[in-house]
Amino acid sequence: MAKFRVGADIGGTFTDLVLLGHDGTLHTKKVPSTVGAYEVAIVEGLSSVFDSAGLQPDQIEEVLHGTTVASNAILEHKGARTGLITTKGFRDVLEIRTLRMPRLYDLHWEKPPPLAPRYLRLDVDERINNKGGVDKALDLDEVERVVQRLLDEKVETIAVCLINSYANDSHERAIKGVIERMAPDLLHCISADVLPEILEYQRTSTTVINAYVMPIVSNYLQQLSARLGAAKIDAPLLLMQSNGGLINAAVAERKPANIIESGPAGGVVGAQALARKLDLPDIITFDMGGTTAKASLVEDGEFTRSLDYQVGGGIMIGSRLMSGAGYHLKIPAIDLAEVGAGGGSLVWIDAGGSMQIGPESAGAMPGPVCYGMGGEEPTVTDANVILGYLNPDFLVGGELELQADKSSEVFQEKVANRMGLDLAHAAYGAHQIVISNMIRAIRAISSERGRDPRDYALFAFGGNGPLFAAGMAKALDMRRIVVPPFPGLFSSFGLLYADVEHHYSRSMMQVLRDAEPSALNDIWGGLEAEARAQLTADGYRPEQIDIRRTANMHYKGQIYELSVPAPDGDFDPDKVAELEERFGVEHERTYGHRAGPEEPVMLVNAQLIGRAIPDHPPVPDRLKVMDSRTGTQSSTRQAYFGPELGWLEAKVLARTDLASTNLGGEQTGPIIVEEYDATCLVPPGATAKQDDFGNIIIELPE
Amino acid sequence: MAKIEDPIEFELFKNAIFAIGDEMAVTICRTTYSGVLRDNMDFSTALADANGKMVAQGLTLPGHLGSIPAALAVVVERFEGDIGPGDMFILNDPFDGGMHLPDIFIFQPLFHEGKRVAFAATISHHSDVGGRVPGSNASDSTEIYQEGLRIPPLKLFEGGKRNETMWSLIEKNVRIPIQVLGDLRAQLAACHIAETQFAELLRRYGLEKVDIYMEEVIDYAERLTRAAIAELPDGEWSFEDWIDDDGIDLDRPIRLFVKITKSGEEMVVDWTGSSEQVKGAINCSLSFTVAHSVGAIRCVLPLNIPSNEGVFRVIKVIAPPGTITNMVLPAACAARGLTGFRMGDCMFGALAMMLPDRVCAASDGGNTGVSIGGYDDERKPYIYVDFSCGTHGGRPWADGLQGNSNMFANMASQSIEVIETEQPMQILSYELVADRAGAGKYRGGAPFRRDYRFLEREAVLQVRSDRQKYRPYGLYGGYPGQPSANSLNPDKENRTMASKITMEIGYGTVFRHELAGGGGWGDPLERDTEKVLMDVRNELVSTEAAFKDYGVMVDTATWTVDADATEARRAAIRAGRTGETAKVMWEEPQMTDAAKG
Repeated sequence: MAKFRVGADIGGTFTDLVLLGHDGTLHTKKVPSTVGAYEVAIVEGLSSVFDSAGLQPDQIEEVLHGTTVASNAILEHKGARTGLITTKGFRDVLEIRTLRMPRLYDLHWEKPPPLAPRYLRLDVDERINNKGGVDKALDLDEVERVVQRLLDEKVETIAVCLINSYANDSHERAIKGVIERMAPDLLHCISADVLPEILEYQRTSTTVINAYVMPIVSNYLQQLSARLGAAKIDAPLLLMQSNGGLINAAVAERKPANIIESGPAGGVVGAQALARKLDLPDIITFDMGGTTAKASLVEDGEFTRSLDYQVGGGIMIGSRLMSGAGYHLKIPAIDLAEVGAGGGSLVWIDAGGSMQIGPESAGAMPGPVCYGMGGEEPTVTDANVILGYLNPDFLVGGELELQADKSSEVFQEKVANRMGLDLAHAAYGAHQIVISNMIRAIRAISSERGRDPRDYALFAFGGNGPLFAAGMAKALDMRRIVVPPFPGLFSSFGLLYADVEHHYSRSMMQVLRDAEPSALNDIWGGLEAEARAQLTADGYRPEQIDIRRTANMHYKGQIYELSVPAPDGDFDPDKVAELEERFGVEHERTYGHRAGPEEPVMLVNAQLIGRAIPDHPPVPDRLKVMDSRTGTQSSTRQAYFGPELGWLEAKVLARTDLASTNLGGEQTGPIIVEEYDATCLVPPGATAKQDDFGNIIIELPE
Repeated sequence: MAKIEDPIEFELFKNAIFAIGDEMAVTICRTTYSGVLRDNMDFSTALADANGKMVAQGLTLPGHLGSIPAALAVVVERFEGDIGPGDMFILNDPFDGGMHLPDIFIFQPLFHEGKRVAFAATISHHSDVGGRVPGSNASDSTEIYQEGLRIPPLKLFEGGKRNETMWSLIEKNVRIPIQVLGDLRAQLAACHIAETQFAELLRRYGLEKVDIYMEEVIDYAERLTRAAIAELPDGEWSFEDWIDDDGIDLDRPIRLFVKITKSGEEMVVDWTGSSEQVKGAINCSLSFTVAHSVGAIRCVLPLNIPSNEGVFRVIKVIAPPGTITNMVLPAACAARGLTGFRMGDCMFGALAMMLPDRVCAASDGGNTGVSIGGYDDERKPYIYVDFSCGTHGGRPWADGLQGNSNMFANMASQSIEVIETEQPMQILSYELVADRAGAGKYRGGAPFRRDYRFLEREAVLQVRSDRQKYRPYGLYGGYPGQPSANSLNPDKENRTMASKITMEIGYGTVFRHELAGGGGWGDPLERDTEKVLMDVRNELVSTEAAFKDYGVMVDTATWTVDADATEARRAAIRAGRTGETAKVMWEEPQMTDAAKG
């Protein structure tokens, strides 16, 4: 019997399931998420696919999972009761943070409450210095008293983070020993295991987050495994990490901090894999849903990772400068820039007479005016209905009837009249302004890093991505757009492309040119041994293991690190010099200048990724879509394309109409491609075709 | 709006031009060397039109609001007729467009087909510009000539060619040229980013439209500001606050006095009545006073108003020359940040009289500057410069923020572990201190303490702090915060120190600074008893203070509030209070002996 792999992605509203057979057979399912017990929707959704497709549970060989369980626990402050043990004098590192506020002139801003309140943060009188020497020894009796106090407070988990433990972890390990002795069943973690890196606030915050979500993630994964087992799906469960690699459920339970941004990662991983097949090494991914739009960069066929980020920072422009809104995680994550713009974003006029969009959103309830569920404020989706881009009668799946008249009425009154514009022009304006807002996300991952978006193709997915992609590309002078199959389910589809990956790091904090090659060998060698042991335990053979080294560095005196690949094999003075040169090149590339050769470069952290290479490519080139829904009948519709072009007759097609064998293949816009899970807009003058992999390829004119 | 044919296109332009300002800021932030810039974000960026009118300021330091137009005006006036492509201008002279010497401005005129169309502008606080004290931020200098290299408006580049005389003069006059020149390069890189992106705007919209739209972006900010100010009540409000001293004349407090007049769509902020300029280095340029006056008003206006010239058209600031708010030669000004923060507090005081439910009580008074510098045994220089600020006053709706930057300097702290690897010192403590915040229905933020242990042979310790004598005020029944404190070797001699210090220290010396506590807002007897209980449990308020100030009896065995005892105690305090509750409190209210508890 054919074997299937499952991609399961949980979102706030829907759980998306994709089942892919070795022969390319593909089944998809979108079911409402079961909040509070997310595992239920996954297993019931799978069961219903089994029924309709005639599959057996034992045909499932792997379940790949992207989940927002961990990030939701943080956003909703529903994590575990967490105790923190720290160094005397530093009880408030977690609360003081970096002092910075995310907003200027805003007296109403509230600092996010610390995940471990002050009375559960206790200190011990010990001190390690920056060289790793012990200035003040740990008193185990005191540790016992402190642990007992936390146990008396009925904490569910304990985090331990001591000053300078990156240089010497013996005190943290001793405290871990005491916790294990006094409370063998209590979940706990020490910073030396979670993040053995310099920067006390970032390390403390990351360790506390790890502890805070540990019981919830652990419980959830056990429930999910049990329910899969009960449904006779006896397949390994792998979790998507924030960094785009998979880990097995047991590792995720121990280091849940790694799966916080699991949700959006799948789409980027899938985009990277598809782009490689298309021989497009450089793409910008653009994922737009109902409330947010996210962008990321794939360069030379590799997505980029940021070294740290904030969970629950809210969504704001310029967040890279104005940090401090969320909870700091210093864990590599796919570098995503996000802005609060989606189909549900509200359109409004400010006191200066300017049209503004978002960041407030009509959300799922009441939703846009056209949904007829009580929404009274005009949204971006209403604008798209007015413009004729969206089907005025029903959302394409046919499950929701739309009230286009109501959109027009409200938009006329609340936007067009107040701006002195006709309705279509006002709606077109809203469409354009959303685009200009979202451009900031793309700039944040491209031009702010010295990359020119014109050199990249735009890879668009998410429920609204394909609708805005052409406008985005035009505004950024990008020529080519790729819209993958099932754009609205792409985050779960992308999971199928991911590899098992483990990331390791250790702080060096020394001037690179002064480093002994043997010391570098020891550090990276140690990390490599850890990676190989883990991957072997995961069941991979030595020849399947791929090791990559990276080094995080900055000029002595700077603080923001740049990450560059480090040479393989044994270090010698030439390789050390080569590493320094690679840093200089990257600095110049990113910032447009580099310092002279006299300026020393600091090696801050040594990092290493151990990746498992699967025996077979995870996704076959040809997909057989088994999901038979009534395709859209080819027709036409009037759509508005700005004051110059006005209303034009647009072809309304199905994706397959763009295939080379059908209707003559390549078509010229205006075209509206209607699908079950998304609508794709091809503007006048642009051409569109379907390629051999099922992607829509849109080319914009020069 | 008459000139604008397409309001949508204008909106797109507006987004694009502010994005340039932000992108310039990101460039400086990520490429900078010194801790002052990278962590304290003590820099700003902007794009101005061909005449130097500011169109878009990047996200950055409120204390720099409006400083760029003042500096740019001097450059345009001085060099008009001699500004060409490839020129870059530099200045830092506070008496010729600058603010204080460490703030170096870099401007690049942008050209299109031979015509000047805009300016890219940056200002960065450099870690050292020479002078008598490492860090160039001594509070005890008494004239500008002691404070470092004074750069009048000059060309740093002419026709694309670097002025090597200027460059090497800077190099030879600063203590750590690698940092200063590196940070200057970051400013140049930011201007370069602006040049590229502005050219893109010109390509897209054409010069004629770009000119019209830049003007309209300014008008738009003006309209928003006018609309917001029109909503506020008309009238006149004033406020007085005092700086302990200037560090030279220790017995002479320094008066800050502001009067806000609001009429229709306009506001006037008048600092007449403030102290004459002082000997110590805390005098302000007019542009700095403007920044803090306008910055405070922005806190009661809607958040979506862009920062540009339009805002300044509506808010007039008056500061008589020769006062601490508008210094003249030879005033010293390196440590003028202190006065700026306190002008912010003073503005908030006046605004709180105007809008009782919109403004917080006094903060800790702004940041404390600590610098430790000298030469190691190999005569290599080191400079540690650290600004600490941390606590806000109670608000009419919530407690004051704690462990948080001052509103006027959105800075970050430096990592302790990084300090310990880069500097000859250890930080022994960095934590909140109990019973120092002003009590209130909404209490002030708790201040933190920071202990620095010095590990080289010798160094000069420089401290600029305040609020030792004049405490952060409380509002509408809220108590004032406790004063700040400095001490040497707290675990041994525990020698109490003045607020401003310049002294030699040796190996092993421990310096402790405790910030002042934020002022409280509203009567502490009205504070939710559960909040008091939580504060006691979190060891931010002692059981004694809970009883004495809040009238709350906490049972620490069960972590509950004794309701009866609390009611009785609160009644006793109310009965024991003598006199009216002032709107502004500088000391705890007077009480009969019986009620003191």
